[in-house]
Amino acid sequence: MIKLGISAFYHDSAACLTNGNIVIAAAEEERFTGIKHDSSFPINTIKWLLRSTSTKISDIQEVHWYENPDTKDDRVKTIFNKRPIKTFFLRQRYNKDKKNNSPEALLKKLGYTGKIVYHDHHYSHSAFSYFTSPYRDAAILTVDGVGEWETTTISRARGNKIEKLISIDFPNSLGMLYSTITSYLGFRPNEGEYKIMGLAPYGDPSKYFNKLEKVLDNTSNKFYLHQKYFTWEYSDKIMFNKKLCQLLELPPRLPEEPLTQEHKNLAAALQKLYEREFLKLVKKAKDLTGSQNLCLGGGCAYNGVANSLAYTFFNSIHISFAPSDAGSSIGACLEGHTKVSPYLGPYYVNDHVRKILKQYDSKLMYSNLDDKKIIQKTAELLQDQKIIAWFQGKMEFGARALGNRSILASPTDPKMREKLNYVIKKREGFRPFAPSVIEDQASKFFDIKESVPYMNQVVKAKVDFLPAATHIDRTCRVQTVNKEQNLKYYKLIKEVGRITGIPVVLNTSFNLKDQTITISPKQAIDRYLSSDIDFLVINNFLIKKKHVKR
Amino acid sequence: MLKDKVKQKIAAWQKKKEYEKKIAELKKRDPFTYKNF
Repeated sequence: MIKLGISAFYHDSAACLTNGNIVIAAAEEERFTGIKHDSSFPINTIKWLLRSTSTKISDIQEVHWYENPDTKDDRVKTIFNKRPIKTFFLRQRYNKDKKNNSPEALLKKLGYTGKIVYHDHHYSHSAFSYFTSPYRDAAILTVDGVGEWETTTISRARGNKIEKLISIDFPNSLGMLYSTITSYLGFRPNEGEYKIMGLAPYGDPSKYFNKLEKVLDNTSNKFYLHQKYFTWEYSDKIMFNKKLCQLLELPPRLPEEPLTQEHKNLAAALQKLYEREFLKLVKKAKDLTGSQNLCLGGGCAYNGVANSLAYTFFNSIHISFAPSDAGSSIGACLEGHTKVSPYLGPYYVNDHVRKILKQYDSKLMYSNLDDKKIIQKTAELLQDQKIIAWFQGKMEFGARALGNRSILASPTDPKMREKLNYVIKKREGFRPFAPSVIEDQASKFFDIKESVPYMNQVVKAKVDFLPAATHIDRTCRVQTVNKEQNLKYYKLIKEVGRITGIPVVLNTSFNLKDQTITISPKQAIDRYLSSDIDFLVINNFLIKKKHVKR
Repeated sequence: MLKDKVKQKIAAWQKKKEYEKKIAELKKRDPFTYKNF
């Protein structure tokens, strides 16, 4: 049965096509529109899915929608009814959006009038996490901002069955709390959370921990947030009020203001509080299920520092490649376990690349090498401290570049981090980069418990010669790479290891400031030309700017 | 004693005003919230 899976209208809209339980292709809408975390109906993704797989809309037998609009509507109306006057205009806007965003109407416009199956938001997270895991029994913990009502769930999974055991409802949300402090520190919610994670090691959590802790009610067993500090129930402009400022005794930071030590201290306190509450949930998941295995899902599963703490209670942890809403488009379609790689997006054959390159004859020089030579040459350039944009095969699904749309560099050069942050990516200097390492040698360099193929755990480096790919506290969001995952990337890192003795490369996503990850060769070339990246590799083409000395 | 209390009140009032100003400024930035509706 051919299914179309869709997630839309919160953030990270995405769509996928499955046949049986096999994921054929998937992508996030933001890659086609260039709007980060695009929340609109993924019309461009759906059109690409149909075009690239030669599927007609009439071939689709079912559409699986990642959440239940009726349950969400119930939550929104219930909270609006608490403050009918304050939410009057918000309600008007919501009703208008609801009418425009009807899945039936949008799909009808595409010519689809068949069955639409709606799943609970957190079920879709759970299904994506569990059915892409190697486990046949597991605890599943999903934590995010909010779905319909639920913000957190714990489930028990056995075979193909997922049974929800407990849930926490809006407005008590660990994800919303994290986003609130993200916005308090002048970063955009649902985008800047990873910056807070990066900032936290620079701060002293004790400065704000006791104050921040007061937003929680610890008298009950359940996670409960005092709403007097927050405006989530009635504002679409801001997430907190002056009571939170008075509690913290710190003015909120505007995005253009400098980051002070106080801001870093607040980031550290938030991360510590998040970790404590997350660990309580992990323990509860263990107590309720007794399983040795834990699947994590929901946007909060991007918190790699907290994720690693789950080993306190579980032997094995699985976090799939797109735990936020994007992955739920796939989760909604799955009925059982599937082997799926994150490389599900558009790819371009060499003939297409050559055609595009011809349009840039005056600006670029290039050579078409065989697999062995392109790997050798790229490894040599990396050893020579060059920065390489590496564009290969199918685009990754999810927030991480996992070796097909990556900027690569040497992790051993202490100056490389500053160069990449300030010169290439033009972003904040405190933000760390990730190392990719050959899986079977990973434990020599990093304190890892098991493979981490999707960069979603933060671990300690055992060595001190990877300064560009490790953070101030010598931690890093490592990616382990094996042959089955990504053969060409594996061979490249292996070759780097052969030349340098260190089978590790620095890997960051192939995008520049405020851009989405690169999707096409043309975009790759334009970005390469507008940046100080030294070389661009697209498939087997080694490309350089004409004025650059080799 | 009274002077100190007045000073404290003024400082608290000034802080409150600063918070309100910052919040008003942040509200102008679009979008500065997690989408939940």
